[in-house]
Amino acid sequence: MIDWAWIAGHLDVLAYRTLQHLYLTAIAVAVGFAISFGLAVLAVRRRPAYGPIVGVTGLLYTIPSLALFPFFIPITGLSDFTAEIPLVLYSLLIFIRNIVAGLDGVPRDILEAADGAGYGPRTRFWRIEVPLAIPLIVAGIRLAAVSTIGLVTITGILGDRFGGLGFFIFEGRRHSFATEIFLGGLVTIVLAVAVDTALVRIQRRLTPWARAAIR
Amino acid sequence: MSTAERVVFEHVTKRYPGTGTGNPGAVEDLSLEVPAGKVCVLVGPSGCGKTTSLKMINRLIEPTSGRILIGDRDVAKQDVIALRRGIGYVIQQVGLFPHQTVAENVATVPRLLGWDEGRCRARANELLELVGLDPARYADRYPSALSGGERQRIGVARALAADPPILLMDEPFGAVDPIVRERLQNELLRLHEELAKTIVFVTHDIDEAIKMGDLVAVMQVGGHLAQFGPPAEILASPANDFVARFVGADRGLKRLSLSRVGELELRTPALVRSGEDAEAARRAAWDDPFRYVLMVDTENRPVGWIDARAIPRQGTLSADIAVGASPLLNRRTTLKDALSMLLDADVQAGLVVDRKGALLGLVTAETIAEFMRDTGAAQRPADLDEQPARPAP
Repeated sequence: MIDWAWIAGHLDVLAYRTLQHLYLTAIAVAVGFAISFGLAVLAVRRRPAYGPIVGVTGLLYTIPSLALFPFFIPITGLSDFTAEIPLVLYSLLIFIRNIVAGLDGVPRDILEAADGAGYGPRTRFWRIEVPLAIPLIVAGIRLAAVSTIGLVTITGILGDRFGGLGFFIFEGRRHSFATEIFLGGLVTIVLAVAVDTALVRIQRRLTPWARAAIR
Repeated sequence: MSTAERVVFEHVTKRYPGTGTGNPGAVEDLSLEVPAGKVCVLVGPSGCGKTTSLKMINRLIEPTSGRILIGDRDVAKQDVIALRRGIGYVIQQVGLFPHQTVAENVATVPRLLGWDEGRCRARANELLELVGLDPARYADRYPSALSGGERQRIGVARALAADPPILLMDEPFGAVDPIVRERLQNELLRLHEELAKTIVFVTHDIDEAIKMGDLVAVMQVGGHLAQFGPPAEILASPANDFVARFVGADRGLKRLSLSRVGELELRTPALVRSGEDAEAARRAAWDDPFRYVLMVDTENRPVGWIDARAIPRQGTLSADIAVGASPLLNRRTTLKDALSMLLDADVQAGLVVDRKGALLGLVTAETIAEFMRDTGAAQRPADLDEQPARPAP
């Protein structure tokens, strides 16, 4: 069924496509996080903004990916932007919801204690609110990263320059070559699991205090 | 070490928008002065404005009008962040930062003030010891691994970290069980004796107010100060019907815990010693209103009571006719404890002894009742409409 020899002969392509996959994912997650963080802070500070922000990003999330990836070709051509813009847009809802939930979840008594101790608004935000929101923020990063890893395969629809591991899936389809389709799918799954596991480790390291709670 | 500062409220009013006076949390024309180094307890039912009043001191709430002074300085004219760093603040839920270790929590204000790491650590250890927690065991733990009582102690340590002249405590012991609460109360009183900070303390529990306060401010709904004074005065002569009901029908009993045996005028019983002439002792016993004499040893320590009828007409006294163990009290015993011991004992007279056990005098339930009458009724106001009019004596 599986042509192992073919796989063994294409390890260099596999390595290149894996790196491309990670690169496309990392940029989308980083940019998506930065935009979302700003919007989430705005939503927490100005409550009326929360509805519209979640409404618009929620609407973006519902657009089918096969339709959205070609959408920006008239504006950005076949550049990386064409792939990255939809990836970023899809990540926003996940990020914003988690960051807002994280910041909202900081208990009132802790904020009152911080105010009473003489934290300024900025110090309180960075030293108290953000650290306490980390478990939910990282949960958002995990969801967004895994979902983006899945979506990157679909960027293969833009052509062989794109797609990361999705390249194998699209090319395998063209040549009706099962091994290649299987390889693309399998490594994408392995990548998603590996990234998720790594993020869990990072979160544990960032929040040693959360482990102490479970005695 | 910073010295304590007085806290003064001058015609402080807080109204919330959209409502008139009498809404929960509002404060109406509050004026009072807490002298430096005293514990002032704001007490009242929920919604009486006691917490609002407290939070106006460190400006977590800004007053609508009036001003608050710390020492001679108007809090409204100070930088709010600097003001708060100079005031210790303890809340009921403690509000320890879960992502910081105990040592980091305790050193919160020092770190905000930019102390270096070593000095913060040393200060944290010092404070942990002060509140009775071993730094070696606790400094590097996270708050989630602590009991309620331990958390509250760390909350107090955190509030004291930068040695502020004033400590604000908002129902600090409201969330711990009664046994732990009593211990924390006693520890705070000990700390106060040691550190002499000005403490403003909020509670809804009148017993806690009486126990903790040098001064008690009773507030009633609508944010009115109903009465302000030492606990004994509030219990002895409530200013109005509200205060009388708030301190409770058992306020007489509560007053018992505020006075100590040392304040009483002690009666001296007729004393005899073993080996003395029986006839003289018999006469002394019949002269005593209770027909008893007290036998003491050579060091004046009580041995027992001797009934007039049990004394032989001739010969000498021997210790074996002395009976009845009276409760032994000292000058520091509260009247409440003294009365309780008297009610439990076979002989309705307590013997007050000094540190060496030598007799100082005698206390009976009547002595205590008399003392309470003399110190209480004198200032009782006439406008207690709930009380039936009493016939003139």
